[in-house]
Amino acid sequence: MHVVLLRLALGLYSVGFAHAVLTALKKKQTFFKPALAATLAGFVLHVGSIVLRAMDVRYLPLTQQYEAFSFFGALATLGFLIAYAKYRIAPLSVFAFPVIFIMTFVANLYYDPSSSIPPVLRSNWIYIHTPLVFLGYAALFIAFAAAIMYLIQERALKSKHSTRFHNWLPSLDMCDDLAYKSLAIGFPLITLGIITGALWAQAVWGVWARDAKVLFSFLTWLVYMLLIFYRLIAGWRGRKAAYLSIVGFIGVLVTFLGANYFGGLHTFNQ
Amino acid sequence: MQLALVGLSHKTAPVEVRERMAFNSDALRAALTSLVGRQEVNEALILSTCNRVEVVAESADERLIREFLCEFHQIPHESVSKHLYSFRNVEAIRHVFRVAASLDSMVIGEPQILGQVKEAYRIAADAGTVGMHLSALMNRAFAVAKKVRSETGISQSAVSVSYAAVELARKIFGDLAGKTVMIIGASKMGELAAKHLKRAGVSSVLVTNRTFERAVELAKVFEGAAVPFEHFADHMVGADIVITSTGATHFIIGKNQAEQIIHRRKNKPMFFIDIAVPRDIDPSVNEIDNVFLYDIDDLQQVIDDNLKERLKEASRAEEIITSEVEAFCLKMKGREVVPTIVQLRETLEKLRRDEIERNRRHLKDLSPEQQEALDQITKSLVNKILHTPIEQLKQLAHDPQGPDIADLIRKIFNVKLQ
Repeated sequence: MHVVLLRLALGLYSVGFAHAVLTALKKKQTFFKPALAATLAGFVLHVGSIVLRAMDVRYLPLTQQYEAFSFFGALATLGFLIAYAKYRIAPLSVFAFPVIFIMTFVANLYYDPSSSIPPVLRSNWIYIHTPLVFLGYAALFIAFAAAIMYLIQERALKSKHSTRFHNWLPSLDMCDDLAYKSLAIGFPLITLGIITGALWAQAVWGVWARDAKVLFSFLTWLVYMLLIFYRLIAGWRGRKAAYLSIVGFIGVLVTFLGANYFGGLHTFNQ
Repeated sequence: MQLALVGLSHKTAPVEVRERMAFNSDALRAALTSLVGRQEVNEALILSTCNRVEVVAESADERLIREFLCEFHQIPHESVSKHLYSFRNVEAIRHVFRVAASLDSMVIGEPQILGQVKEAYRIAADAGTVGMHLSALMNRAFAVAKKVRSETGISQSAVSVSYAAVELARKIFGDLAGKTVMIIGASKMGELAAKHLKRAGVSSVLVTNRTFERAVELAKVFEGAAVPFEHFADHMVGADIVITSTGATHFIIGKNQAEQIIHRRKNKPMFFIDIAVPRDIDPSVNEIDNVFLYDIDDLQQVIDDNLKERLKEASRAEEIITSEVEAFCLKMKGREVVPTIVQLRETLEKLRRDEIERNRRHLKDLSPEQQEALDQITKSLVNKILHTPIEQLKQLAHDPQGPDIADLIRKIFNVKLQ
């Protein structure tokens, strides 16, 4: 049942994906309202799917690769919906909907009905460590999308060539504000995520886990740390902050997607 | 319905002709009553603005309107005829829709025209010169104009320097509340831009000028503060938007200076609008992060881009107009079809009965059966004669491009609608 819901959610997200592609191609907002409604409905089914899966395996459904993608997709949707509810920035959809769609698509692709949970992951820490990291990722994803919008708008303003698409994008001030606020939410979350991860490793082995994912997540954390530092101390904003925010999110993607290829503890069951 | 429209606009007539043909508001009422007082003119409406004069009338003959225009303004017809255009029926409807939707305006999509058309309608309604037909037409025109406005982007982007400045400021700052604008130098255009920014929500205005008195004067207008020209750079730290329009022959703000200011502002964005010629601000200031510099040519570029965008949208608007014109024609034609058929039948039936009545004398020898047969034969004859016209009437009523057959048939059979 949970996989049916996941597929339905993907179907609904595809409306949002089509909206994003058409809007980017035509440089004009195309059926945003239906896409928003479909995404909202998709999100409800998606959450339903995750809850059902959790009831099936009687555990946090985050031990398999497809579950991780599905979880990330759902949280990215949540992040978008919160940002939209607060700022009413419709153009955010152009950046958010494709990511939501792709994450959920990959989740469907890698779907694996087996529900064996590796013993090393059987710990209550998983209920704290993983959600914190994923929530942080979702917030940083919104910061990333805001940074891209900022750069597009800024380029248009500097080069003095605007199209209707640029008129549709939010103001620089709003993009920067959204980027900063998302960072302010995302950074503490990943910080706590890393700390709980370290404590978990300590509890199991008595030492810190040493795998590639840990290393990369630490590097990513450093980038965001720098960004916060520059914003607070050096008064960075706008373009420079946007660049760093993008670098940080590339770090997030490498950490998240690359996990399997690096080997080590964070490799999923296959 | 027979519509005739005669007019001239900025596209067909130079201002010397337009001003001579214009109606001032006091003369409008008299003109309307005089026009409708004529034979063959049943309803009329006059739109007179600085860019156009249009007379719309429910009348079969547009020559009457041309004559009226020349008579009223006491201008020989030959001298204006080449500037006048006239449209009938479908084309007249299309023209009215296009004018109201601002597709025929000098600046396409400018919003004032709809208000002017509405006012013209109100005046004509007050004067009692609009009836069923023109009010149906005008109300539809208002709805079409609204539809064009909301469904296309023809009125969306700024096409004047001051509005372009406001639009750009909104793209940088979003909400302008709490922002400060600084005016350096005094020119009409700079003043106008500041006025628009203030109306758009800018909270405070700083004014500086080489002659301090002038700055004080201008500051009063904007309820702002005057600052001495020697120290303007210090005050600029608090300004989010700076408008320069001095007569200086060299740059008064250089890159270094702007860099220092932005540093002191902790990188809070700044928007410089340089409308002076020669320019007041070093163009390389635009290279600084969080600083946006637009000179007069840049603003003109923005306006040109917006105008191009409007033209693109205008072709979409034309599509809307085309389908609306068709829908309106059908509706108006359909309105006349049923009464025409009814009248047609009644007229011919009356003809038949009158004819029998008139020949009663010769028919009195006929047996009741024969009389009955005669009645049936004449009835059938009338029905057969009417069959094709009525069929055509019903069919052509659904073809918006088709001729106004209802009117033609009424003329042929001498039928008057009640």
